[in-house]
Amino acid sequence: MDRREIALIRDAQRGSVRALEQLFRLHWPRAYRAALLVVDDAAAAEDIAQESFLAAVRALDRFDRRRPFGPWLHRIVVNRAIDWSRARTLRREIGDAAVSEPAAPARESGDRAEDIVAALSELGAEHRAVIVLRYLLDYTPGEIAELLDLPRGTVNSRLRRGLDRLEEALR
Amino acid sequence: MNVKRLLERVPSDREAEERAWSVVRAAYAEREHVHARPRRRLMLAAVALAVAVSAAALSPPGRAVVNAVRRTIGISHAAPALFRMPAPGRLLVSGGGGTWVVAMDGSKRRLGDYTQAAWSPHGLYVIAATSNEIAAIEPSDGSVRWSLARPKVAFPRWGGSRTDTRIAYLSDGRLRVVAGDGTGDAAEAGTVRIAPAWRPGDRRQLAFVASDGQVLLLGAWRSSHRYAEPRSLVWSPDGKSLLLVTARQLILFDPASGHANVLRLRDVSAAAFSRRGQLAVVRRNALLLFDGEEPRTVFSTRGRLRGLAWSPNGRWLLTTLPSADQWIFVGGRRVLAVSHIARQFGGTPSLDGWVTDPYPG
Repeated sequence: MDRREIALIRDAQRGSVRALEQLFRLHWPRAYRAALLVVDDAAAAEDIAQESFLAAVRALDRFDRRRPFGPWLHRIVVNRAIDWSRARTLRREIGDAAVSEPAAPARESGDRAEDIVAALSELGAEHRAVIVLRYLLDYTPGEIAELLDLPRGTVNSRLRRGLDRLEEALR
Repeated sequence: MNVKRLLERVPSDREAEERAWSVVRAAYAEREHVHARPRRRLMLAAVALAVAVSAAALSPPGRAVVNAVRRTIGISHAAPALFRMPAPGRLLVSGGGGTWVVAMDGSKRRLGDYTQAAWSPHGLYVIAATSNEIAAIEPSDGSVRWSLARPKVAFPRWGGSRTDTRIAYLSDGRLRVVAGDGTGDAAEAGTVRIAPAWRPGDRRQLAFVASDGQVLLLGAWRSSHRYAEPRSLVWSPDGKSLLLVTARQLILFDPASGHANVLRLRDVSAAAFSRRGQLAVVRRNALLLFDGEEPRTVFSTRGRLRGLAWSPNGRWLLTTLPSADQWIFVGGRRVLAVSHIARQFGGTPSLDGWVTDPYPG
């Protein structure tokens, strides 16, 4: 973690709104994008990223400045996104008729970017999360295993399967 | 295929960013506001304690002051807020400040102005009640899936399998049952004012105490005795035993054989089984754990304890100490306390259930 980020966290802990805003602006795009790619629903992604930042604000006083902020935030974002995706697909507890809510389409502008969002949406949430952590947020498989509390072999197999499916879809 | 480049081209949403920033900034301002007050209160508390200690040193009546202060404070070294739960899962609480879901990281979400609530069997939904309504709600945001207006509603309880569920509740002294999607609401029987209990497992069997004091498993079994002053009904997690707590005793029924095992233990106010079947009870100011038939005290304090919930992993017990405005987590020999509950939840909430994440990784 660079010195600038450490300083921003310290200043935010001391009450600087400006420092908090810089931290927010620094991390929002990736947090939002990560959530969007996992849940494939723009409104839900906004909620998830926002809730994750709120959790960060609530825990700010106790945050250890020696630890990097990004992985901590990403863990919250990705786990919440996985939870949301699972909840959307398994709601029969309340009766099938009440729950058929199609996901809102992701707001995309690029062509290939749109394709990859569509291709990702074909995968399960766990697979999407692993792909997003590896290729958007640049974590190693070992770090992903730790972040998601998964065996490393599971991470590797999900990465492999996820990439195979993406390649197939984008051909 | 360069996956990384493609993922980075997925656009962020500028408007969403501005909306989120305004919410985060407001929460940060509120944090500063809340943050400042406890310091002042802590100072005042420290001054009050010092005065009380001085008084105790001077006179015998002073000792009473010290004891009073101790009673007021409850557990020392309590955390000033619920920063984090000691075990994974989501906790549901309800009271004057509404119904809340608390996550393991301490974040909490208010679901609405409900006074009682319970989880659905797999923790996907919440059934909540006001005095004149029950509502099935989403724990993620409190949105209402359906609701029913009924008079004098109490003790909603959700049971059944993942694909076919029922909700039992009391309305105007009658036990009623409605399907999980809000259809087919019907009265079943007269009942005393304690919560009905769905038998765990993939079946729909409901236990309750009838108006005459008999314990009934709806359509399947009834106790041979009538019981006075019933307080709660709790199933063991395997669904083989049903515990009735009364003001004077605990009765463990085996509905298969009809056998009832009675333990004379007065003043038990709450009971709960861990997922492995270990029974814990709250009795006056103590928390007791049953290893066999004999209970042992695992925690006691000066004030009366109220409510009980096991953590989903069975390692922690949560009870409350309303006189000190504290929650107390007991895990083996460890005791963790959290203060200022009323301020955090807008009242003194009851513990409505601590469930595992519905989709563990």
